[in-house]
Amino acid sequence: MLRHLFKLIWNKKGTHSLLIIEIWASFMVLFGVLSLIVYNVSNYMEPIGFEYESVWNLDLDNNQDTTKVAAKLQRIMQHVKAYPEVESVSRMSSNTPFSANQMNNSVTYNKVSVLTDQYRTDENFSTTLSLPLAAGRWYKKEDKVAKSIPIVINGKMKEKLFESENPLGRIIKKDDKTSFKVIGVIDNFKAKGEFMANDPAMFEVLTDDNDWDSNFLMRVKPGTDADFEAKLVKDVAVMLPGWGIEVSYLKESRENRHKLTLVPVIIFLIVSGFLLTNVALGLFGILNLSIARRRGEIGLRRAMGATEGKVAIQFLGEIWVLAAFSMIIGLVFAAQFPIMNVFDIASGIYVTAIIAASIIIFLIVTLCAWYPSRQASRIHPAVALHEE
Amino acid sequence: MIKLQNVEKVYRTSSIETLALNNINLDVKKGEFISIMGPSGCGKSTLLNIMGLLDEPSKGIIEIDGSRVEKYSEKNLAHLRNQKLGFIFQSFHLINDLSVIDNVEIPLLYRSSTAKERRELAQEALEKVGLSNRMKHFPKQLSGGQKQRVAIARAIVGKPEIILADEPTGNLDSAMGNEILNILQSLNEGGATIVMVTHDDAMAKRTHRLVRLFDGTQVL
Repeated sequence: MLRHLFKLIWNKKGTHSLLIIEIWASFMVLFGVLSLIVYNVSNYMEPIGFEYESVWNLDLDNNQDTTKVAAKLQRIMQHVKAYPEVESVSRMSSNTPFSANQMNNSVTYNKVSVLTDQYRTDENFSTTLSLPLAAGRWYKKEDKVAKSIPIVINGKMKEKLFESENPLGRIIKKDDKTSFKVIGVIDNFKAKGEFMANDPAMFEVLTDDNDWDSNFLMRVKPGTDADFEAKLVKDVAVMLPGWGIEVSYLKESRENRHKLTLVPVIIFLIVSGFLLTNVALGLFGILNLSIARRRGEIGLRRAMGATEGKVAIQFLGEIWVLAAFSMIIGLVFAAQFPIMNVFDIASGIYVTAIIAASIIIFLIVTLCAWYPSRQASRIHPAVALHEE
Repeated sequence: MIKLQNVEKVYRTSSIETLALNNINLDVKKGEFISIMGPSGCGKSTLLNIMGLLDEPSKGIIEIDGSRVEKYSEKNLAHLRNQKLGFIFQSFHLINDLSVIDNVEIPLLYRSSTAKERRELAQEALEKVGLSNRMKHFPKQLSGGQKQRVAIARAIVGKPEIILADEPTGNLDSAMGNEILNILQSLNEGGATIVMVTHDDAMAKRTHRLVRLFDGTQVL
């Protein structure tokens, strides 16, 4: 029967070409949406790697002030530390968790180069963000004078750069002048939130003379409220007249970040949902029309011994064969994404999206063909043959 | 082979009741070639549909090969049609998107036969009707007579015991009609039981027995 269906569809390929293109286009759109969804879901499944609840970001901007900036920042550090509401404070570069800023660099070890996110932080960073160490230790004040800049790397960077080798104590290079020594390894650090891919990351010790990294992450005691925030801003404003001061909560920044990721996905989902609904309705209409035109054939098949079920299966089978033709074409296109490693996304994500898109397409066409097929099977053979 | 006892068929709509067949009693013996005649609208095709299990009588008993079929399920009726009956229609009912040989294979699709068996049987049937050289052609490339010969090949491909022909020469000129009747006669000589609806007296005279209908009633 399958061979018969293939012949029937193949011999009518001209008539069915638009339908095949329609199903193919739906498959490609679904493949795109599902790749995006699978990518985000698989990212979401991986832990973020740090605790952001009760962490505030004090973002300072020196504006026109260029006098003894490093010393002023150190004074602020000491001042913030002294608040009883603050459990831990840490200074870091502007690419704070959930911010839009990003810093990356290429580093090399044993001729293997990796593009890594780079964060400049101090010795308290692991405490402030409750970053658990998988191996080694976090850097201390004394490490700042070391010949090679001490760094802590994340698990992904270890995997890409060292594979199964122990990274502790290894020297990696940024360029001929700058080298880093790995002193610790953490598991994950997904600074842009749960939807971010678990990319390689390294944490470099921030030196005392640094006068441009002016973000302070503060872990505050539970229950610390806006009164403290106001007091903090007021005190800092007195200490740093003319500077820009902004306090944000990482919890809120995370939510904003999620919105930035989810809104385009939702828009894409709505647009493709609308498109697929139109395709489904069109398919339903075409199938109804096709069945109305083929009443004679239905009557004939019933006369030749087809049961109601076999007539229904035949019409369902035809649309499955059509969908299969469309998806074979679609697969030729979709398969290029994992093969060519498009957008540097793991091939498993594309493969999952291809499988899911195929299943959904088959479900949609089955749903569209179900009612017309059932109707076809209920056509009275004598009536259908007589009409013809 | 086919026995009809007191068969009645009434078509009902919300306001009209039409008696299409009234008290039909007919016994078609194995190996017979029967023609059914009558004016248009007298119930010839309805009778053929009932004999072919494509329609149910409103009353009466139908026996095929000694078995009463009124309690048969839809599946069993389909099986019986597939195994015992072959149909030939005035308008051929060929599927234009399938080649001649694929059209002929259709009844075998509803049996558990392999592709190879289907092909062999279809070739054999087409040889019988003299169309083995047109197997790969499509219906649109054939003349009316050739189309009807394809329809006959399709009717006999499953080697049914009964062939039901509804005005098989109705759309053909007399020469072509004669040719088709010759094929039917040779099939009958080969053992097939044939019931044919026709308008043509000359065709009817060439059959063993004539059943005449008028306004749904058997008059001969």
